[in-house]
Amino acid sequence: MATGRIPKGELRRLAERVVERAKRRGARQADAFAEVSRESSVRVRDGEVEELSQATGKGIGLRVVAAGRLGFAYTSDLSGGALETLVDRALALAKASAPDEANRLPNARALAARNGPQELLDPAVEALSTDWKIDAAKTMERVGRGVDAHVKAFESVGASDVAGEVAIATSEGISDEYRHGYVALYSAPVAQDDAGGLQTGYWVDYRRFLADLETPEAVGRRAAERAVRMLGARKVESCRVPVVLDPLMAASFFGGLVAALNGNLVRKKASFLAGRVGERIAPVDLSLVDDGLLSRGLGSRPFDGEGLATRRQSLVERGVLRCYLYDCHAAQKAKAKSTATASRGYQSLPAIGTTNLMAVAHAPVPAAEIVRGVSRGLYVTSMLGHGADPVTGDYSRGAAGLLIEGGELSRPVQEVTVAGNLLEMLAGIDAMGDDLDFRGQVRAPTIRFRELTVSGA
Amino acid sequence: MPTAARATRSRPRPPPGLVAPVAPRAPLDPRTIERLLSLAMARGADFAEVYAERTERTAVSLEDGKIKSSQAGIDQGVGIRAVSGAKVGYAYSDDLDLPALERAAETAAHIAGAPRESPATALRRVAAPTHYRVLEPLATVDIARKVELVLRGDRAARRFDARIAQVSGAYADQTRAISVGNTEGHFAEDVQDLCRLHFQVVAVGKGGERRTGFYGGGGRVDLRFYESFSPEKAAEEAARQAIATLGAVDAPAGPQTVVLGPGWSGILLHEAIGHGLEADFIRKGTSLFTGKVGQKVASELVTVIDDGTVAGGRGSVNVDDEGVPGERKILIENGVLRGYMFDRLNAKLMGGRSTGSGRRESYRSTPMPRMTNTFLAPGDETPDEILRGVSKGLYCAHFGGGQVDISNGSFVFEVAEAYLIENGKLGRPVKNATLIGVGPEVLKNVTHVGCDPTPDPGIGSCGKDGQLVQVGVGLPTVRIEELTVGGTALGKRPKAAASNRRRA
Repeated sequence: MATGRIPKGELRRLAERVVERAKRRGARQADAFAEVSRESSVRVRDGEVEELSQATGKGIGLRVVAAGRLGFAYTSDLSGGALETLVDRALALAKASAPDEANRLPNARALAARNGPQELLDPAVEALSTDWKIDAAKTMERVGRGVDAHVKAFESVGASDVAGEVAIATSEGISDEYRHGYVALYSAPVAQDDAGGLQTGYWVDYRRFLADLETPEAVGRRAAERAVRMLGARKVESCRVPVVLDPLMAASFFGGLVAALNGNLVRKKASFLAGRVGERIAPVDLSLVDDGLLSRGLGSRPFDGEGLATRRQSLVERGVLRCYLYDCHAAQKAKAKSTATASRGYQSLPAIGTTNLMAVAHAPVPAAEIVRGVSRGLYVTSMLGHGADPVTGDYSRGAAGLLIEGGELSRPVQEVTVAGNLLEMLAGIDAMGDDLDFRGQVRAPTIRFRELTVSGA
Repeated sequence: MPTAARATRSRPRPPPGLVAPVAPRAPLDPRTIERLLSLAMARGADFAEVYAERTERTAVSLEDGKIKSSQAGIDQGVGIRAVSGAKVGYAYSDDLDLPALERAAETAAHIAGAPRESPATALRRVAAPTHYRVLEPLATVDIARKVELVLRGDRAARRFDARIAQVSGAYADQTRAISVGNTEGHFAEDVQDLCRLHFQVVAVGKGGERRTGFYGGGGRVDLRFYESFSPEKAAEEAARQAIATLGAVDAPAGPQTVVLGPGWSGILLHEAIGHGLEADFIRKGTSLFTGKVGQKVASELVTVIDDGTVAGGRGSVNVDDEGVPGERKILIENGVLRGYMFDRLNAKLMGGRSTGSGRRESYRSTPMPRMTNTFLAPGDETPDEILRGVSKGLYCAHFGGGQVDISNGSFVFEVAEAYLIENGKLGRPVKNATLIGVGPEVLKNVTHVGCDPTPDPGIGSCGKDGQLVQVGVGLPTVRIEELTVGGTALGKRPKAAASNRRRA
């Protein structure tokens, strides 16, 4: 599908022109971040297409620094007149901000060379037909229904793909672009028991390369199994027990730590991890790695939202906190270096983020063994709420999953919460699985906490 | 900081002409919409709709006592939908050239079968009420006035208490102009202003203990709103929360009597029952409220209203994103389920009518049934009477976010400020509590409803299927029995005498 495709280099040149104009109009420094994308999605219901959607989008965001003051404007209108207004608006807005020495864009010397191709766009994804997506979605629905007669309905079943291009240009000599894409399958079946009780299962896979994608059959089956096994779920008595997170929930747990690793919050002492660099905060068998160069990684990109070349770096190395996450502004405030992990869309300023965040187990054990080692505990497969307070480290989230009894998964559990303090939780991770999951931008294996409070009946 | 504040006041205002001089207008006229509708119907669809939007946003953020950034943006585009039975074809374009729009219409049309002659549509304007007449559209207001609101709050929070270590603040607004036309001949236009101002504060107590506070306000209002909703008071409220919760003890774990303070606690309704009454979940049979109209689903003290017509309400709509006027709907009356919230598509497929609940995040998405402002009708007890009647329990004064699983009804919401109740009086502050329950069960356990109906201050948003829309909620003081508190402290409370029956 060629829509949304623009000639190579054109988006980058557009960004360059906007930056040049900003300089001419009085910006001391400027950067422009431009995007085009096209997306196509399919949803099915009862063996028929329910919704077909296709679209192209585009836009550009301009950051200017004038007299040390920061202004930002964006527009989805790339016509000449709109771009002139964009520059004038950003400069006018800068006047309303306070001067700040840390408002400095990275200079070209800070830029490492590009680290080579990372396989961010699969020609097969770019060429994926609507029919393929319709068939895949119908298959997920059919297979899901076939798993168990209790699968009665679907919240949604669908497939989608996205392909796009990103370009950046800065007044300090950065000018670059890359193309990217991914394909996704998802299924959310609802199982119903004889008493009318409903349970939703959910499974999803999204990959940069079609060949890496789980088959529609696998996604459909897994989603249905997850719904059916939750039928009849009820609370357990409140207790303190070992808690095991499946890989998706473990990824969500580690993803929740990103806010506390935010170097700007750390500088403001608004993170429970402030002042702990060099300290052991997790077991020696655990490292937390951010890798922007991972081949085919969903979070991989050659440069971050400020144009800095991405890299691989340990945030936690064998249990020891090594560094926080910084964009250029936060790094200058904290006299640190940018981690080149700034995320950015054309509608917003760069923000401190991660690329591909991975919880690495140095002494992994088979996931089944992690459950086998628990006489009574909770195996968590879905969670509700945000739950983690990066300032205090307090953690409390709604949870559902399966009870562990005598080393085996037993009856389904819902309407409970798991709670603890993140520092104690990190230190209390006593097992990590060999089942590192590869979907998403945060990757983790099964993990087990020695003991958390489960609130229920 | 005082210095930054002075600098801002003495700074020259941006020259005129660099801020939008007039309110934005939706980018399509009725004649163009008629032409696109005809193309969208060209393959035999039975309904088509064109939605055009132009949204202008500004935002200001404050950190370390200074304005960190000032931002603005323009987002515009057109979404075109063709419906054939229950099948929907959708395409959008942010390119407003006629050929690009025509391509989008043709793409949407493909959902239906074979080419055929499409009927012409003659659009007629739908008369719409005004629930948010704005004198001065936010997009036209000088940013310096918005900056000043944030700086005023910052100063107030820092003055509040020496233990306030950090203050961050933000102001954001949007002026969104929409026009919608469909093949039933309806054409509607609306301009929707929306703003919010909020402050987040960190207090540091003994031994480096840190607590946060958060407060703000806004709605579909213009800047005159902040003459009565004072930025100073909002920031002081955030500071008060942070200071008040210093020295908090671990939350007791397990079921207990909970009293919810008024206001944003209405998120309880939003999560516990509101989402489950959205018609798409009902049509698909994925909500546990499916087929329960006329049945008792809550305590008779519970009357729940979703009201899109609240003056200045954050979730209010003159017309929804399908051009249907907003409505006041009784969802639950004295505990009995009265009806669901419909968009056009689900209303048509289920044989009902739209309740003005069709909303979307932007032209990039298809509309879905969504809540607007969701309230619990007041009862007749004073908040004091309710509190006095509790010998042991938890009082929740302020809340964070919430989430619900529609099918099993499990929901959580996070408590930001809470106190133990002992013999009818507030005791020590409690930290790290999340409330969890199953919607209908919790609503059956509502035993007292206060006479103090209170809307939230107007800064809430709701995510569904990846689409964020603005909503309001409201609750008087209520008492709920046997609500599970997800804390860390075990065994500090007597066990509940009787356990609840599940999903009665």
